[in-house]
Amino acid sequence: MSAFRALLVSESRILLRDRMALFFTLAFPLIFILIFGFLMGDIGDVSQSTLGVFMTADADRDLLDKSLAATASMTIQPFESLDSMEEAVTDRRVDFALSWNGDSLLFLYDANRVQENFAFQQVAQGLATDFNLRRQGATSAISVEPIDVGEVASTGWFHLVLPGILAFSVLSSGLFAVSGHLTAMKQRKVLDRLIVTPMPPVALLAAIVAVRLVIVYVSTLITLLVGVLVFGLRYDVSWLRYTVFVACATVGTMGIGTIIALVVRRPSSAGNLANALAMVMLFLAGIYFPIEFMPTFLRAISKGLPLTHMANAMRYATGVMDMAETEFWAITFSFLGIAVLLLPVLARYVVRPLRQ
Amino acid sequence: MKDVLFLALTHVATAIRERITLFWFLVFPVFMLVLLSLIFGQIGQEGEINFDIALVNRDAGSSDPIGLASMIVGVFEGLGAPQAAGQEPLFTLHRPGQGEDAGAFLEEELLLLRRGRRAAVVVIPGGFGETVAGGTAPSIANEPEPAKLTVYMSRTSVASEMATEIIGQVLSEIDRDILVRSGRFDRSAEIQAQTLWLGQSDEQTRYIDFLLPGIVLMGFFVNGLFGVPGGILFNRDRKVLRRYWVTPLSVPRFLAGFSLGHLSLCAIQFVLLFLLGRYGFGATISFAQPVAFLTLILAAVTFMAFGFLIASLARTANAGMATANILNMPMMFLSGMFFPVAGLPAFLRGVVYANPVSYLVNGLRASVGVESVSFSPGLLIGVPLGWIALSVLVAARKLKWDVER
Repeated sequence: MSAFRALLVSESRILLRDRMALFFTLAFPLIFILIFGFLMGDIGDVSQSTLGVFMTADADRDLLDKSLAATASMTIQPFESLDSMEEAVTDRRVDFALSWNGDSLLFLYDANRVQENFAFQQVAQGLATDFNLRRQGATSAISVEPIDVGEVASTGWFHLVLPGILAFSVLSSGLFAVSGHLTAMKQRKVLDRLIVTPMPPVALLAAIVAVRLVIVYVSTLITLLVGVLVFGLRYDVSWLRYTVFVACATVGTMGIGTIIALVVRRPSSAGNLANALAMVMLFLAGIYFPIEFMPTFLRAISKGLPLTHMANAMRYATGVMDMAETEFWAITFSFLGIAVLLLPVLARYVVRPLRQ
Repeated sequence: MKDVLFLALTHVATAIRERITLFWFLVFPVFMLVLLSLIFGQIGQEGEINFDIALVNRDAGSSDPIGLASMIVGVFEGLGAPQAAGQEPLFTLHRPGQGEDAGAFLEEELLLLRRGRRAAVVVIPGGFGETVAGGTAPSIANEPEPAKLTVYMSRTSVASEMATEIIGQVLSEIDRDILVRSGRFDRSAEIQAQTLWLGQSDEQTRYIDFLLPGIVLMGFFVNGLFGVPGGILFNRDRKVLRRYWVTPLSVPRFLAGFSLGHLSLCAIQFVLLFLLGRYGFGATISFAQPVAFLTLILAAVTFMAFGFLIASLARTANAGMATANILNMPMMFLSGMFFPVAGLPAFLRGVVYANPVSYLVNGLRASVGVESVSFSPGLLIGVPLGWIALSVLVAARKLKWDVER
């Protein structure tokens, strides 16, 4: 126990002196959410868009105005001519445009806005349907009443992305923490000196895990706070679930990261491998794009990734997604199980000096 | 000249032999190309996406003179079957089993919807068919009020929002059918919405054509950002460079060989990505035009120079890699490479304007006709050249070619 205590103190000092490691653990998730928060905050939200409208003198303006008022929640910008409106679409002064000459409804899109045109076309379709019904004096026989079953008022896709980024930062820190630190100790021959003391190998691993665990927890709290303060996101965090999950997920991913320490020799290789694994998982785990948008085989891969389950559990703990309580604890304790299984077993193999 | 060529060859061979370099150099760009084109290239296309939805018909067994509820169920069942062999159905439909209590089934499905296992739950209320057929209850405005069909969804899920949108379109078509059948809507008098695509061709740019130039530049960028400082600093820290300096090789000749090797890697990377984009995903854009070709060269040189800038400012190889890691994501995503940047706040737009990647991405996409030019020609060339000049200047003064003794 005294060995663990001594190692805990020295590991804490090492981490606090390592500005680069501190920066990566604390600030990297912040960079992620600041960039993606502003980039993705209003993704798919067409209400911020502008629709250019040109109507010829002989067209029925009232009819179109009523349809626009009923269906298009975006800013409407009138134009005096079709040419000037085309120019505005091309120059992106308006997002898309509509021309009504009494005979035809013409929607104009910038062909190169491949990421946004789908949402604009959806609005156009609704507008054309409403316009045709009004024009013939008909009213819908059936209507759809959407009812939101979500228990938390969503502020958009980014509301779900942030807990995903928290899960990602836990994963990447966990993967790199043990592997990067141990390989660095081996390279600097610090481990050679430690190994000749009566220190049990698992005590060293436990000290590394304990110190990083605190830093990862603090890092997720800072990131969450920035999401709330900067982007106005609201989370109904269950602190017990959150704390237990972050702790278990961190030690579990550190267990997985210990496997990296087994197969690489240099800290840079450990970093590269951890980074490569984390990046691949980041894009497949439904953090930036919903899993439903992926083809079947990618969906199957996604369901097998630890990050997918980590992100869902984090969403549940922050109150933006529902989940069976048993499923949440099963995920949480699976990570704890991984740590309990891997860390003591692998300790004797990774806490070894570098073979020359 | 022979030593320069030999060094270039060594640089290429070393990069290809190192698995992790190969990952960032080739595997990651290919992964991104495949993933993004599989996801965004098919958004909204039937047969490519699939939503789990539940349908509860609470109107079954009640008096429904026009069989409307059954018709809606039939339409959803049709959409729950693949439209062609090898394709996925639009909906994976979940319905209560024979004799199963509809109320209990609905409760269970709503729970699954909240848990993200369903994209939507559609409920046809009791008396629905009769309401529609009977002309409906009058509203305050004395206009017939439409019969309501309930769609439970979750606004915290993009998939649920999208599925609800699609269900709305399906029901809108059914609504139109009902109106036509009851003589309240004349299809022949309907005004069809026309579409005009404004761009170089009369159709929407294909996603793969938009994506491919971005992925090529991402490859060049990652290659320059990590490959150059990695190649210089690790070799310096491990004292490999010191061995060169005891030979007659001069620093300028080493630089020439290293740069030639780096640019060759970019060329290999470009050819592989282009072939995959064209033959694997059907990209139709052509880079075989002077402006596109020159932009590609400018990009490769700019990112290489940027790599030298990082190598000059970092004291150790690990610090160099860390700096590259910090710059990687912000520079890539704050350039319009993958997401539109027009809506960013002013302070981040400042980063976009200072970022050489923004100009190179826009310049390359504009040169192959998949994006309109957003910057003046002077800026498109001037900003990357400015970064090259700055990087060369800093590297000439600061880059250390040997470890400090």
